[in-house]
Amino acid sequence: MIGTVIRTLIDLIPAQERGRAGRYAVLAVVSTALRAASCLLLLPLVSALFSTTPADAFGWLGALTAVTALAWAVDTALSRHGFALGFALLDRTHRDTAERVTRIPLGWFTGERTATARRALAAGGPELVGLVVNLLTPLLSAVLLPVALAAGLLVAAWPVGVAAVLALPALLVALWAGNRISRAADAADARAHSALTERVLEFARTQQALRAARRVDPARSAAGDAVTAQRGTTLRLLLLQVPGQLLFGVAAQLALVLLAGTTAVLAVRGDLPGPEAVALLVVAVRFVEPFTTLSELAPALETVRGTLADIRAVRTADAEPGAEGAIEVAGAPRVEFRDVTFGYGGTPVVDRLSFTLEPGTTTAVVGPSGSGKSTVLALLAGLHQPDGGRILIDGQDATALPPAARRRLCSMVFQHPYLFDGGVRDNIRAGDPTADDAAVDRAAALARVDRVVEGSTPVGEAGAALSGGERQRVTIARALLSPAPILLVDEATSALDTENEAAVTEALTADPRDRTRVVVAHRLGAVRTADRVLYLEDGALVEQGTPAELTARGGRFAEFRAHHERSAAWRVGRETGSAAPA
Amino acid sequence: MAARGFQGAVLRGFGARDHVATVVGVSRVAPHFVRVRLSAPDLVEGLAPEPAGWLRFWFPDHTGSDREHQRAYTVVWADRDSGEFAVDVVLHEPAGPATAWVLAARPGATVAVTSFGSSRFAPPDPPPAGYLLIGDPASVPAVNGILAVLPADAAVELYLEQQHAEDELIPLAEHPGLRVHRVPRRGETSLAAAIEDRDWSDWYAWVATETGSLKHLRKLLRERFGFPKTDLHAQAYWAHGRAMGSLRRTGTPETGPVGTDTAVGGTAAGAPEPAPAGPPPDRTVPAGRWRSQAAGELFAPVKRTIVAAGALQAVITLLQLAPFVVLVDLARLLLAGAGAGGLRDIGIAFLVLLTTGTALGSALMLWLHVVDARFGADVRRRLLAKLARLPLGWFTRRGSGSVKNLVQDDTLALHSLVTHAIPDAVAAVVAPVAVLVYLFAVDWRLALVLLVPVLVYLVAFAGMMAQSGPKIAEAARWAERMTAESAAYLDGQPVIRVFGVAASSFRRALADHTAFLADWQRPFTGRKTFIDLVTRPTTFLWLIAAAGTPMVVGGALDPAALLPFLLLGTTFGARLLGIGYGLGGVRAGVSAARRIAVALGEAELVTGESAPRDAAPGTVHFDRVSFGYRPGHPVVHDVELTLRPGTVTALVGPSGSGKSTLAGLLARFHDVGSGAVRVGGRDVRSLTSDELYRQVGFVFQDAQLVRGTLRDNIALARPDATDAEVEAAARQALVHDRILRLPRGYATVVGADAPLSGGERQRVTIARALLADTPVLVLDEATAFADPESEFLVQQALSRLTRDRTVLVVAHRLHTVTDADLIVVLDRGRVVETGTHAALHAAAGRYRALWDGHRAPARVEVPR
Repeated sequence: MIGTVIRTLIDLIPAQERGRAGRYAVLAVVSTALRAASCLLLLPLVSALFSTTPADAFGWLGALTAVTALAWAVDTALSRHGFALGFALLDRTHRDTAERVTRIPLGWFTGERTATARRALAAGGPELVGLVVNLLTPLLSAVLLPVALAAGLLVAAWPVGVAAVLALPALLVALWAGNRISRAADAADARAHSALTERVLEFARTQQALRAARRVDPARSAAGDAVTAQRGTTLRLLLLQVPGQLLFGVAAQLALVLLAGTTAVLAVRGDLPGPEAVALLVVAVRFVEPFTTLSELAPALETVRGTLADIRAVRTADAEPGAEGAIEVAGAPRVEFRDVTFGYGGTPVVDRLSFTLEPGTTTAVVGPSGSGKSTVLALLAGLHQPDGGRILIDGQDATALPPAARRRLCSMVFQHPYLFDGGVRDNIRAGDPTADDAAVDRAAALARVDRVVEGSTPVGEAGAALSGGERQRVTIARALLSPAPILLVDEATSALDTENEAAVTEALTADPRDRTRVVVAHRLGAVRTADRVLYLEDGALVEQGTPAELTARGGRFAEFRAHHERSAAWRVGRETGSAAPA
Repeated sequence: MAARGFQGAVLRGFGARDHVATVVGVSRVAPHFVRVRLSAPDLVEGLAPEPAGWLRFWFPDHTGSDREHQRAYTVVWADRDSGEFAVDVVLHEPAGPATAWVLAARPGATVAVTSFGSSRFAPPDPPPAGYLLIGDPASVPAVNGILAVLPADAAVELYLEQQHAEDELIPLAEHPGLRVHRVPRRGETSLAAAIEDRDWSDWYAWVATETGSLKHLRKLLRERFGFPKTDLHAQAYWAHGRAMGSLRRTGTPETGPVGTDTAVGGTAAGAPEPAPAGPPPDRTVPAGRWRSQAAGELFAPVKRTIVAAGALQAVITLLQLAPFVVLVDLARLLLAGAGAGGLRDIGIAFLVLLTTGTALGSALMLWLHVVDARFGADVRRRLLAKLARLPLGWFTRRGSGSVKNLVQDDTLALHSLVTHAIPDAVAAVVAPVAVLVYLFAVDWRLALVLLVPVLVYLVAFAGMMAQSGPKIAEAARWAERMTAESAAYLDGQPVIRVFGVAASSFRRALADHTAFLADWQRPFTGRKTFIDLVTRPTTFLWLIAAAGTPMVVGGALDPAALLPFLLLGTTFGARLLGIGYGLGGVRAGVSAARRIAVALGEAELVTGESAPRDAAPGTVHFDRVSFGYRPGHPVVHDVELTLRPGTVTALVGPSGSGKSTLAGLLARFHDVGSGAVRVGGRDVRSLTSDELYRQVGFVFQDAQLVRGTLRDNIALARPDATDAEVEAAARQALVHDRILRLPRGYATVVGADAPLSGGERQRVTIARALLADTPVLVLDEATAFADPESEFLVQQALSRLTRDRTVLVVAHRLHTVTDADLIVVLDRGRVVETGTHAALHAAAGRYRALWDGHRAPARVEVPR
């Protein structure tokens, strides 16, 4: 456990601070040696105090004072380096992690890994600052001090030293095993607890359904029975916890008995003068003490280990290569999919898909949920790398280059409008940081942002200060401002707002640039702007052609169209769509 | 530096920093009330904008000595850009140092100001029933600051003590829920006597008055009304009748640290006060109850067990310390040159202690887990029972996250409180106290020496805490913000990758956060190192040796008496300082227990008696219904509405108009405040839950599937339904074919192996409602558009569901309800128009405005 923490730490320390880390390590060793020395100085000091000439102790007290003062000086320097390393860690770790995140394939981010990444980015700031000083320094000294003391004891009274050498590994093993058992017990405890809780939680979550169905009482007693039944299981698991918590305490006391016993036997045999034996007893207690410190550090170490493991998970995830290589295009490019296959964990989402987007055309991708529409867009945008097949842009194989090369060619309107905390104009400008004010204004006007919100309005955290429709328009303006020759639009699925539907359609028709456009359409409005339609089902292309052709063919697309036309005419309390009133 | 007495020294010890503030302007706000505007950019820079926060001013002595007097004043305004701030000062006759300085102050004059240890006001969470504010002219600036941050729907009772009639001229901030009571001062008791004698349960009291008044108020609020400590902030802002001169001559500290009689607002000198006229009137109202105290009630059944366990833990802790005492005996024995027999006794003692301690420790741990398992199961069963009887609105208003925290995290915190935190806290307290007592018994002089580093630590640490006081709250805000920012950064990855990192604010937030942490922590590194060095074992070792050696050599101490110190004294500091840490776990557990107890104390739905009226089955009547989530803030006003059987009624209106709330009242998500909702002539409050939901069904956006198979889910309301009936309902809801395509069909268990889309889940709940077949249905129209992929199918299913029922629909898209039999237009909780689409459209009123407004931005054709 300690090893992992230290390895991760060394990995995290920035290169220019490596020298400091070395000085820190040397100082840590010196500091421990001084502590051991001050402890061992008790041997002559205490012996003198109990002897017939106690005044001899003054000399040793002077030595102890000198060593203590020196230790303060060394520890002050040690702490300064420790804090400096802590601040360097704070400065670098999150920045590096944030950078790394942008190069990890999006497929990596499962729910659980996203949570890990979020913790790695957000948590542990204050923890990192104090990591070295509050954790590493005490940890190092707690491990090194008993070693140094054992060495000292070997010289002072070798049988006691031998006892210490024997106790050392035993104590470490007891500590490790106790922690391990405790951790296993804690994990079992947590599992049992969440099993107990889940039933209550589900009961709370489904109250509406249960009440409406008049099933509250049966469900309640079922959940109550489950809670009662699981109580026994919990208790049995917890039997594990007892040895874990007691193991180290017992071992520490036994170690003390061993050292004190050895000393006492030596004294009784007359091999050791009484005063010296007493002094050795004091050193024996000092010998066991650091282990107690170690056991007290265990919970903090566990937390830090969790934080570092999160950071490590992100830093060791496979990342895309850098952004070398570019695709040369002049104007709107022709885009070709040739037998493109892509999937998550072995299940193909898109299977040997081939189609061509002619330069300057607008294509609508339509199909039921799960048909792979958005995946096609993500593959085009370089957000995913195909598992097989090729994507050709103006005849150049884009899949042979890093995905970043594709990304530079694409501008995109996303399903979930993501804005950063700043003004509306700042958000639009993100589409093209080099754009002048006039260009930003033009894009805002095209997306009709200017009609719904002032350019200087702050958008709030993640755009929360704007309505859904306003956010959508800002993201459209951002996409329109970008000079990229391919425009991709993923229509929002949430549909309370007819405004959004209108906004997307406007974006596609108002864009003055010569681009190749693709829209994933859920509604007819966006389909109407398209020159061609690709109808996908289960990751395969089942129909393609102009909207008119496909409607005439009476296939899937025609059905989609009929459903949507009737859906738009739907009225509450009426069975089939008919003419709407004025 | 001028003489500032003891307190100045203490403040310096804490590391408080002086700033020089320059007067920019002085203006008289009221006859005895002056606003002073000052400039101190470096001070304002570090000032956290918090209501009722104050600064310490050091005024020169007005009689010409070199003493400086400390007075604290509430910051009424601060502006980082200009580096200016303002305070309000109450003028007194005869003038004290503050009054004298203010009267003489001209632009350009300077004064020393320290920002240190200010108390801050933060509205308590959860919000109290109301705020009882008690003050006088000196605390009006703080009261104004508080009023500005209180939520608009809070009830506020403000009692203001007046010394002059002109005090009424001092401007008071406005608040919609504020009631002001002005009380002329006729002595220390007049203010307390004026406080209304009522049940103040769950109110929060903030009191800042003169010392004497405060004494009586505190007694009244605590003893009479029952205000617990957690819900009462009481601070003296000045002292009556203590002339400044006498204070200076005696050298008595004029002001203490936070919480004592800090003279915020200046000092009044005056004649002795008249005795209060007669005893206070008899109080008849019983003392109130506070939610903040609910944790105690939750623990009542296990209280004795916990006390006993605590006692046992204390014994175990002592047993763990005992070996050190045995070691001392061993040492004495060795010095006396004992034989093997003595050694054997010692060895036996060691082993006995070890086995007893271990056995007792195991027993305690097992026992606590058994107790906790029973207690935890009991709490969960009580929660289940409570959840079953709470109004459904409680769940929607709390949100799923907060319910989850309660059920999951808080019960977990309760578990660790009983099994870990309490024994840990006992051990953390008992061990150092036992060591302290033992060492003092051995030699009190040497024991005193050991307290020196502890004191040094406490002073240094308290200073650090006080200096970083506002930063701690800021750090918590940062932690929250960074969680949100990094979640957004991860969510926004596709955007960031396409448009480049410039599209994200995350990196900037990260840099700001790092800078904040560095600014906060860097100044403390030296002090942190120092307190670490002061309390480490080697320091104690040296102290013991340095103090003990001369004592032994001088014959003042038996060398054997040094042994307990060398064995136990070195870790003494660490143990003593561990007390606070050990108690932290208890605090966290207790606040979790409080939240659970508060939830267990929430009001339940009750079934009352009410005479039924004649009405056709399936008729719904809103009989002059009003409702609000908080008293005095109605969301639904006096709504009179009848839904005829078999008709569709649509509720329309802007968001926040109360349409969802009104619809929820029919499904008894909440109980009405006044009036009644009747279904088939019977008040919904007189129906049992079963009776009500046999008649009223609802389908909302949130498609709730319960644990079990798809069949169980469809047949939820009618578990005895035949397979044919279940399938018929599924067919009607257009989900039958989809279910058959699943490998296990109707036996598919909801959850991981049922990959149903949103629209499909929605249709399962519609099938359920079809099978339940209630005559009345409440519907959210947005349900029809929850999933664009299959909205056509959901709509068809809904159409079949609404056939031949009394339907109340909450409408978001106006065009979907044009066919409704009745459209009800709501605005701010009131019915403003009713009629059919055609009639309302023609009437050119609110509905027409909504219709036109709704259509305007959507210039794209909606096919029709």
